[in-house]
Amino acid sequence: MPENTIKCILSMVMTKNKLFLFAVLVIFTSGSVCAAAKKAGPAAVLPGFTAEDMPYDAGEAVLLRWPVNPAAAAGTAYEIYVSSLEAGGWVKVTEFDAAAKTGADIGLPFWAWNGTKDEHAVKVELNNLFGNFPPGAVFTCKAAVLEKGALKAESLPATIAPQGNWFRLDRLNNLIALLGLITVFFWAVSHAKRKGLFIRRIAGLDAIDEAIGRATEMGKPIFYVPGIGSMSSISTIASAFILGEVSKKVAQYDSHIKVPHYDPVVMTVCKEVVKQSYLEAGRPDSYRDDINHFVSADQFSYAASVDGMISREKPAACFYMGHFMAESLLLAEVGATSGAIQIAGTDVEHQLPFFFTACDYTLIGEELYAAGAYLSKEPMLLSALKVQDLGKLVVMVSVFFGMILVSLGAKFGWDGLVRVVMDLFKGY
Amino acid sequence: MKLIKKQIPLAIVFITGVLTLVSYYVPHKMSVNYIETINKWENIVVAFAFLLGLVSLFFSHYNKISRKVDGWGYSIFVFIGFLAMVVPALVSQGKQMTDTGFTALGWSYKFIYTSLSGTMFAVLAFYIVSTAYRSFRIRSLQAFVLFIAAFILILGKVPLGQIIWDWVLGWTGRGVNDVIEWIMQVPAVAGKRGIMIGISIGAIVTSLKIIFGIEKQYMGKD
Repeated sequence: MPENTIKCILSMVMTKNKLFLFAVLVIFTSGSVCAAAKKAGPAAVLPGFTAEDMPYDAGEAVLLRWPVNPAAAAGTAYEIYVSSLEAGGWVKVTEFDAAAKTGADIGLPFWAWNGTKDEHAVKVELNNLFGNFPPGAVFTCKAAVLEKGALKAESLPATIAPQGNWFRLDRLNNLIALLGLITVFFWAVSHAKRKGLFIRRIAGLDAIDEAIGRATEMGKPIFYVPGIGSMSSISTIASAFILGEVSKKVAQYDSHIKVPHYDPVVMTVCKEVVKQSYLEAGRPDSYRDDINHFVSADQFSYAASVDGMISREKPAACFYMGHFMAESLLLAEVGATSGAIQIAGTDVEHQLPFFFTACDYTLIGEELYAAGAYLSKEPMLLSALKVQDLGKLVVMVSVFFGMILVSLGAKFGWDGLVRVVMDLFKGY
Repeated sequence: MKLIKKQIPLAIVFITGVLTLVSYYVPHKMSVNYIETINKWENIVVAFAFLLGLVSLFFSHYNKISRKVDGWGYSIFVFIGFLAMVVPALVSQGKQMTDTGFTALGWSYKFIYTSLSGTMFAVLAFYIVSTAYRSFRIRSLQAFVLFIAAFILILGKVPLGQIIWDWVLGWTGRGVNDVIEWIMQVPAVAGKRGIMIGISIGAIVTSLKIIFGIEKQYMGKD
């Protein structure tokens, strides 16, 4: 390197006489530069650096791997750079300590990932660096080793074109559980068709008849509040099922129901449900289009309006079924003050205490989902309750044995067993 | 007729449900794009349905006013409230702020809408007190446990309660904050997780019922 520099400068001197004085100066100073270069030495090559497509993703990330260097001095760090063919230039992705980011840190289960602590593994989200890029776009990656801030080694650039994958192998445990549940589901449906099922009693749902009967005797209306969830919320769908059964009974008793709505789509669906119930009860003449009415798509405006209606009309019964947030207590407390018999059900667990304290009966989450089937008494629908109970049994048994196995593993240092158990029951 | 009213909707529900379910296990860009498209469609449907809601609201309150039913005067405020927000919005061209300060819409939003919403939310505090009073009436063992847990939490959140705790139970070596943390982290979380597990299984089963057409009450029965 120094010899080459001198030759180069001499040739320049020969060809460019006008720069002779400058060349002499360069020759004198190049000595010290060359000495410094000799002292630092050229950057070594980081061995074993590879870039591969990140498995189980949409094709927006790459995985960089290289062996851990056990002899790395204290203060050694890695820097990762990525370059896109389109943008050009190197973009620094991350910098980390030599002991960090090993294969064991990649959050994938044992059946989908074989990374160990003996290798570094870094996931690079390319869309965060380069935005949306076309399929087949090529990227070049490299890693640099720094020792106390000075470049010590650098990998050879690795080129990769990330691809979208077609299956999340890491979610295999979830898929197997789902397939098991579907199998049990169809078994329960066919079993219900043939033999019928015993279903445990749910006090809150048994009280619906009592509430409607009370309203009929008192000649006061019933308020059915389907909450503030959209139609894509499971609790709102369940609420529509319950509304169907409640309004059928209301029609049979020739009572009067009011359903104030927060969501126009829910209102449209509930209109159909109530109309159908009146038809099935043989009372289509009693159906009025204003049973379901839109109030407001704003949470507190809705609560204020429904509170006002309850305060003025003093209903005999109030049903709060669906998705509720802060308005749960605003509604239930006004209903309790008005003296109505109140039945609530929601799957928002942090609103349940408010309903417990302000309502006569409360359906907890899954009971809300089961209510439509329970009230309809159709064997096909009732079978779903059995599946729910079986599912809970499986979870209870799994939690029990999982707890024992993990405790034993932790006690005796069986890390492999702990990892297997934890991975099996983890969601990815 | 049955084809249009029953079979085609059921087929749409089945295909959409299965595709959405499968997309959870397929990370490919096509799957991501499908979910994004479905979400956009949902937003479009909601936007159109909102017009239906508005018509329903006006129709319902117009009827109350025209029939002079009890409390019909309140219905006038629906129209006044609507105009109080929509007219400034049209005048201000949807902008809440300009270089000179609030527009008419911004003023209405801040001094009418936000104030009213805040008032409703503030009422919640009073309702919590009256509900707490009702739940503190010990009528069963469960109510007693609830009372004890709530009492400790209330006690621990005020300085006077902490002083009382230290004075009476300081010899135990456990501060009231330790007990509160244990209540919140152990029994409360255990109960919450139990409910959440039940909810999750119930949600899966309800979804399966809808996807496979076993539950079809949302579209009317045969």
